[in-house]
Amino acid sequence: MSVTHDAALHALREEQARLKRRLQQLQQRRREFGDFPHHDQVPFPVPLVPLVFRGHTQQGTEGSKPLVSKLRICYPLPGGSALVTFDDPKVAKRVLQQKEHKIDIDECRLRVQVQSLELPVVTTIQVSTQISRRSVLVSGFPAGLRLSEEELLDKLEIFFGKSRNGGGDVESRKLLQSGVVLSFTKDAVAQHLCQAGQFTVPLGTKSFPLRISPFLSGEIQKAEIVFRPVPQSVLVLDIPDVLDGPELQDILEIHFQKPSRGGGEVEALTVVPPGQRGLAVFTTTSG
Amino acid sequence: MADSGNNKSQVHEELWLEEEFMKDEQRERLIDKIAKENTQLKEEIQRLEAELQESTINSQIKEDIPETEMKFTSLENPENDSQFLNVSCSFQVSSQILYELQKGQALITFEKEEVAQNVIRMGKHHVQIEDVDVEVMAKPVPLNSGVRFQVHVEVSKVKINVTEIPDELPEDQMRDKLELSFSKSRNGGGEVLCVQYDKQSRSAVITFLETGVADKILKKKEYPLCINQNYYRVIVSPYIETDLKNFQAFSGISRRTVLLTGMEDLQMMDEEILEDLVNIYFQRETNGGGEVEVVKCSLGQACIAYFEE
Repeated sequence: MSVTHDAALHALREEQARLKRRLQQLQQRRREFGDFPHHDQVPFPVPLVPLVFRGHTQQGTEGSKPLVSKLRICYPLPGGSALVTFDDPKVAKRVLQQKEHKIDIDECRLRVQVQSLELPVVTTIQVSTQISRRSVLVSGFPAGLRLSEEELLDKLEIFFGKSRNGGGDVESRKLLQSGVVLSFTKDAVAQHLCQAGQFTVPLGTKSFPLRISPFLSGEIQKAEIVFRPVPQSVLVLDIPDVLDGPELQDILEIHFQKPSRGGGEVEALTVVPPGQRGLAVFTTTSG
Repeated sequence: MADSGNNKSQVHEELWLEEEFMKDEQRERLIDKIAKENTQLKEEIQRLEAELQESTINSQIKEDIPETEMKFTSLENPENDSQFLNVSCSFQVSSQILYELQKGQALITFEKEEVAQNVIRMGKHHVQIEDVDVEVMAKPVPLNSGVRFQVHVEVSKVKINVTEIPDELPEDQMRDKLELSFSKSRNGGGEVLCVQYDKQSRSAVITFLETGVADKILKKKEYPLCINQNYYRVIVSPYIETDLKNFQAFSGISRRTVLLTGMEDLQMMDEEILEDLVNIYFQRETNGGGEVEVVKCSLGQACIAYFEE
């Protein structure tokens, strides 16, 4: 009785923490974002990223698709399961035709369940962007700048905190991948700084021209997700607790290599013994 | 003697049971309180979201993600428990920055930035191509702007979404009916940890105690909800959370690659031969050039040149 109560309580508390975080996030956004210069009327400056042509071309003038990289999927494997990856996807397909496999060990048989491994894949994504009323993005830092993160943030806050430099009271600062975000306590400062666009800022002994652009944030409006099976792998479940890890691995490998059982060349076999857990990591075949 | 002893232990037991009962009651009240707070929080969140939606300057970006195949890489053993409750997927999306190379144009990438900038500064270059003096103009490459961001998706292994729940019962009762129906193993259900029910939207989120139950239920799109001897079909779907991080808009700028124009009259030439000649010309310091990495000429068809970091 009290055990389920504890668990329900825990889940509710977790949900409340998550809801509170979301609420805070939204409240902050309401403070920050809003009617800024209509960006589709006035082109706004954005950070510059140096790029290079390396010889990759494509015939014709078809529009380009976005580049998807660093695709990584983590799939939790329960105890008493195994992931078998075959060289040939046709073998995997064949193995999957039988839902239950009987594996022979000496005088007994292990009954295991076999199913395809389906991974969530995003097919379409819709993102809405907003321009911040109070924050700006500082970019264009010279390479080889010998300042620690804290030092850099301090120097930027000092410079842009002064109204004689065109700045104002800084509420917060943060280093992101794209640059440094400076958030001011008043709206007008961000707007004014973006209009100027470039400032020469002392960073240590020398001064450098830095670029100021509006700070954008994006939110996912809609993401379409489908579940696709991994072509070369099968998931083995409900493995009874009768063998040790290494032994189990061998037995499974032998079984799934047998053409007479529909199997074939096994590229990889990962076992999660009963009572343990594992996280299987998947990446794209193109690397 | 024995009697009083027994009596004592009996009273003890009664007191203990009463304590336990009160603890249970307290816990139930606490659960109710937190559940109500959560509902209020949800309402406030909905209100704010609607408000922000209106006052937002929306720039919609819609991208179709190209299809890729996944392959098993490794097995990890993270410390964090919560990683076992979801299938998590993350990836980076970035716009491709490109230049449409027209007929009679070429792109040349130098090893050094100073060389590229110098070639641009010089502007006009007279290149000897098969005994003809061709005036080639060197300019910076105009590049488009794009966006880039990281997407994180978590598909729960213990939670499911339930929708189209009939509006037949008061909130508390429906919550109980949901818990009962989804606990029935003969229907594919399992022990339920908690139910979050929203009467207004006729939907709920069911959290199961163990992983595996959600997967089983989601094999079908519907699930039987039993209310007073009647069965209703409710729709079940995966519980998915998505998040976007590190959103950036940026503009591409090419410092080492130069655009060459003025070769429209050479259409009868072989592209590769022209590329070699251009390469040789711009390798010479006397011509203002330097070490060349890549040359691409477009004489016949227009083509797309991709710019990378």
